[in-house]
Amino acid sequence: MSAEQSKSVGSAISIKGVVKEFTRGGQTLRVLDSLDLNVPEGSFEALMGPSGSGKSTLLNLIAGLDKPTSGEITVAGARLDKMSDAEITAWRAANVGIVFQSYNLLPVLTALENVELPLLLHKMSSAERKKRAQIALDIVGLSDRMGHYPRMLSGGQEQRVAIARAIVNDPKVIIGDEPTGDLDRNSADEILKLFEQLNRELGKTIIMVTHDPEAAERATVIRRLNKGVLA
Amino acid sequence: MNLPGLAVRNIYRNPVRLALTIAGVAVALLTFVTLRTAVMSWDEAKNYTLKDRLVTRHKVTFVMDLPKNYADDVRDLKGADGKPLIRASTFLNWFGGKDPAHENDFFATIAADHTTFLTVYDEIKIPDDQLKAFNETRNGAVVGDLLAAKFNWKVGDNITLESPIFGARENGEPWAFKIVGLYSTTSKAVDRLTFYFRWDYMNDGVRAEAKDRVGWIASRSVDAAHAAEVTAAIDKRFDDADTQTLTQDEATFFQGFMGMVSSVLAIMSYLSYIILAILGLILANAISMSVRERTNEYASMKAIGFHAKTLASLILTESTLIALAGAIPGVILSYLIVDVALGDFLEYNLANFFPVFRVKIWTYAEAVAAATVIGLLAGIVPALTVARLNVVENLRRVA
Repeated sequence: MSAEQSKSVGSAISIKGVVKEFTRGGQTLRVLDSLDLNVPEGSFEALMGPSGSGKSTLLNLIAGLDKPTSGEITVAGARLDKMSDAEITAWRAANVGIVFQSYNLLPVLTALENVELPLLLHKMSSAERKKRAQIALDIVGLSDRMGHYPRMLSGGQEQRVAIARAIVNDPKVIIGDEPTGDLDRNSADEILKLFEQLNRELGKTIIMVTHDPEAAERATVIRRLNKGVLA
Repeated sequence: MNLPGLAVRNIYRNPVRLALTIAGVAVALLTFVTLRTAVMSWDEAKNYTLKDRLVTRHKVTFVMDLPKNYADDVRDLKGADGKPLIRASTFLNWFGGKDPAHENDFFATIAADHTTFLTVYDEIKIPDDQLKAFNETRNGAVVGDLLAAKFNWKVGDNITLESPIFGARENGEPWAFKIVGLYSTTSKAVDRLTFYFRWDYMNDGVRAEAKDRVGWIASRSVDAAHAAEVTAAIDKRFDDADTQTLTQDEATFFQGFMGMVSSVLAIMSYLSYIILAILGLILANAISMSVRERTNEYASMKAIGFHAKTLASLILTESTLIALAGAIPGVILSYLIVDVALGDFLEYNLANFFPVFRVKIWTYAEAVAAATVIGLLAGIVPALTVARLNVVENLRRVA
């Protein structure tokens, strides 16, 4: 990481004056407008808002998938707005776990292999990778489904594998992008319980975008975004 | 599980497409190997010619003949120091004979001076008793053992041939021959599919204006290292004569004689490279389709922390593996079809053109190397596309 990175003690995520603009059809669209946000370490926060409010854009900035037009973003102690693409990619592999709405598991890999996938980016023996992946799957309650391919799993089980993949690197921050969006109520409830458990027992900082008020209620903090500004 | 393992798993995603791609690569490589082998075999035919064997023909064209006495002049040629330049010479005529019983089967029929023929073509071996019979029988013929086997001819058989060049015999009788011997060879310089008969028998039967004329003179220079000087000396000998000559070493003569085929082979050489280009397009299409279908997955992998370079390597590994997967059956097919089946057929039936038609190890190596490199090249564009992939756009999230 670059020398310009600084620590924000006590904050897992610190955002100061972030502006994000997109140019479409020759017009500049400001999606986030001088946004400030501080997410303390170990919190579980839900981000809500209508479509087009900028919540996914904010999530992408926190995950280092996109860069702000201006402003400062510090996540897990790293100044993302100052880092190169390659630095951010390496940082993301070690510090952030992402859970997508549509799971995004690789169909050619078993549950265990999907969870192992992020560990291929680290120097680690095959046995160590396997052991860690087994532990992660055990945490999400799928130790009996390790050899199953995604097509053999239910939606809820697939999402749990995706969560195991997100936590296998022991990241400081877990980002959920509509993690219950494709699930029925029971499966969604299981995922949310898992998030609560990861937050409470393992101290993970979780920030989750959701349209579902019931899901949001499970978070300790609910933030609402409207027209690029936090309410 | 590791990254090469993931590349292998990706290859097997669409078995039908994989099978078709492998088949496409295999057939392209088979074609490449066939064309390369044809070109190389043609080149190799020259290697079996002798450096000291010279062929003298009419300066204008091979079709025009020479006075028979030129053969004596060539044999008696001496250098500036008075020493002989030629150690043996003979003369021959292309007869163009056809067996009415085998109308569609081509074989060479050549009238050769039986007294000198074997001194120049000493790689031709005829059993002593059969050679004796050849010398004693005016209409005797010796035929290659492979030709005899092909037509089921035996020593003692009487054969009648027709010649579109000379027509019937002057006395109106057919060209009747008696097979008195079968020859084999100790070198591939001479094929085993020719029908040789005595030149004096031909000379007896041709029209008056064709008598004592020879198609070409074949001679052996005393010193192979100075063959070029000897060819010049022969032609110089006839510079002021009515009929001038062109003398070439056997390899050059051979190439000139087959000039048209040589052009075809040059085209075949170009075609072999075009086949490789087609192979590249087959692979590029397959890889591009496969990668395009997985854009979302690559975006997820990038989001997880995979570097652009790692993903590009994954795709290049995949494309190279597919190419190699096609190269292996391609090489096996080439061995079976070109080396075994086609090789035997051509060496038997077209020995003049392809004395040895076998795939060289180098050609197999060239085919596999070409497939590997093309596989790698075919993956470059998809790899670059994935490396430059915008993660946010491809995760298809709507803010």
